[in-house]
Amino acid sequence: MADEYDFLFKIVLIGDSGVGKSNILGRFTRNEFNLESKSTIGVEFATRTVTVDGKVIKAQIWDTAGQERYRAITAAYYRGAVGALLMYDISKPETYEGVNRWLNELREHAVSQIVIMLVGNKCDLKHLRAVSTDEARQFAEEKKLLFIETSALDATNVELAFQNILTEIYRQHAEQTTLQADFAQIKPSQGQTISFTQQPDESKSSCC
Amino acid sequence: MRRQPEMAEVDRTEYVFGENGGLGAPSSSFFRRIASMAPQPSDEDESDTFQRTVGAGYTYADQIAPNKIKRTKSRQDKHKGRRGSYFDLDDDWDANVEHNLVDGAKFKKSLAGQAMESAESLAFAECEEMNNRISRIRRFQAVLDAPIVDLAHLKKLSYTGVPEELRPKTWQLLLGYLAPNGERRERTLAKKRQEYHNGVQQVFNTGLDEQMWHQISIDVPRTNPHIKLYSHPIIQKALERILYLWAIRHPASGYVQGINDLVTPFIQTFLQPHVEHASVDDLDPETVPQQSMRDIEADAYWCLTKLLDGIQDNYIHAQPGIHKQVAQLQDLCTRLDRNLVEHLRSEGIEFMQFSFRWMNCLLMREVPMGCTIRIWDTYISEGPQGFSAFHVYVCAAFLNYWKEQIKVKDFQDIMVFLQALPTADWTEKEVELILSEAFLFQTLYKTGSAHLK
Repeated sequence: MADEYDFLFKIVLIGDSGVGKSNILGRFTRNEFNLESKSTIGVEFATRTVTVDGKVIKAQIWDTAGQERYRAITAAYYRGAVGALLMYDISKPETYEGVNRWLNELREHAVSQIVIMLVGNKCDLKHLRAVSTDEARQFAEEKKLLFIETSALDATNVELAFQNILTEIYRQHAEQTTLQADFAQIKPSQGQTISFTQQPDESKSSCC
Repeated sequence: MRRQPEMAEVDRTEYVFGENGGLGAPSSSFFRRIASMAPQPSDEDESDTFQRTVGAGYTYADQIAPNKIKRTKSRQDKHKGRRGSYFDLDDDWDANVEHNLVDGAKFKKSLAGQAMESAESLAFAECEEMNNRISRIRRFQAVLDAPIVDLAHLKKLSYTGVPEELRPKTWQLLLGYLAPNGERRERTLAKKRQEYHNGVQQVFNTGLDEQMWHQISIDVPRTNPHIKLYSHPIIQKALERILYLWAIRHPASGYVQGINDLVTPFIQTFLQPHVEHASVDDLDPETVPQQSMRDIEADAYWCLTKLLDGIQDNYIHAQPGIHKQVAQLQDLCTRLDRNLVEHLRSEGIEFMQFSFRWMNCLLMREVPMGCTIRIWDTYISEGPQGFSAFHVYVCAAFLNYWKEQIKVKDFQDIMVFLQALPTADWTEKEVELILSEAFLFQTLYKTGSAHLK
């Protein structure tokens, strides 16, 4: 694959231990789900290129360890990140309760314009659901976060989650650029609108 | 030669020891290799060929096997096929080994009639290898059997690898868990084991630290998921108890992800005497007597404790030990190969990005279990500095091993490469190369770099 792209966006995956960060990354970048995955130590890295509004966007994704002790090292990766998938497990309420702590982490270490998407993972575990979709969606609205529920196991919404956050980042970026220079042909975006119901503009993933 | 049929029958289940501390090849495959060197008669079945070839060329087995046959047979009767406790391993045959060493020259001569020069030298090499291995075991055994074990001597021997069957005892002695004084050993050991089980009972009877327990309970099923042994509830429960007790007893760090990995080489090594031919990876722990399992669990706990005592700074708040080691690694690599470090820098790669895990999990995530165990032979024999200071030299040698590949890659490819290095097929051979290079680096740079201490 020729490694050509229009934009490079750095994204971090954060959230409590065991919510499925490494597997959502595996699903998105390699279309794999690993039942025998080990805990992530420190940080792991993967990339994938997708197309948004006709532009080739390379997502450089940093998957972080969830345990508290690793915050010092993982926080270093928030620097320069333009997007964050903040994940919890819909079957484990304590991982949802941890979301506020993670938001504080981002506030402290990341740039203020970072686009954050709240991701309720493991939505295949319907019979074990402990966090309601409505509650999480409402919370996301209040905090101005994108929101989606996914399953890395059966691949539900994994593409969409990344496509949505990359689209949002791209549009914000484009908007900013328009303000600074004459950036023709770019429609102004909806800003920080919570766009979990909004589909990306017919864009398709292009490779990997 | 009269013994051949009996020997063939039993020895197929025996192992021919590998030189470097591994189990070596099953003797049957060794014999088959020998057999394949001889001219093949066309219409004979394998066992026939096997026996004939052994009779013709294999004076070694003839000399060493009778003792082992006797031992194995009686053991098999006694323990229904399981090997006995490692504490009494080998003491009944070692004394005679000295006289049973193969006369390499004679062996060579006996093959000389067969017009297969290369096969001859190969067989000769194997024979030499076995001799080395046997005399190595003998040297270890002599040290281990002394009334008071000479730890300095044992360290020196262990540096280049410990024979598998003597590894549990050797590690436990060198880590300071087993008493060097043979007279006191059993008593203190029993006390320590009891102490562990009392401790477990105590911490599980007083309200759980929910957060700590939660982290351990989600990490245990993710511990060595590629090795069957660790999917068994008996092992998982043991890991939980070991990790939880350790975490509660060490509140400055508590349980940190990756420590779960560090227990497993002990489990693996201490279970080894309970495995007959197959790999311990596939052992069904239900075949291990309950009492032995309890003892192994306690031993693994104490050995883990000894190991972690020396690297506590890796796991306390902000993990200063790891930060220091990563800085040392970068410094050392700059001295070794400035171009490599410059390439990494120009690609925007920081040492922290790839070597954090190397430090946190002592390279366990980078090489197969057998390799880790061999590395630990050397670390343990290095003393308290083995898992910290010497580990940095090993990491430098490890990075150095891949430098040519790294130098032609860009940021993304280097990151992906270093996260999943192609070491799945590694054996002790590759690891020993790394270790000896690390030793060289240490010799070259230690005196000039007091900061690496």
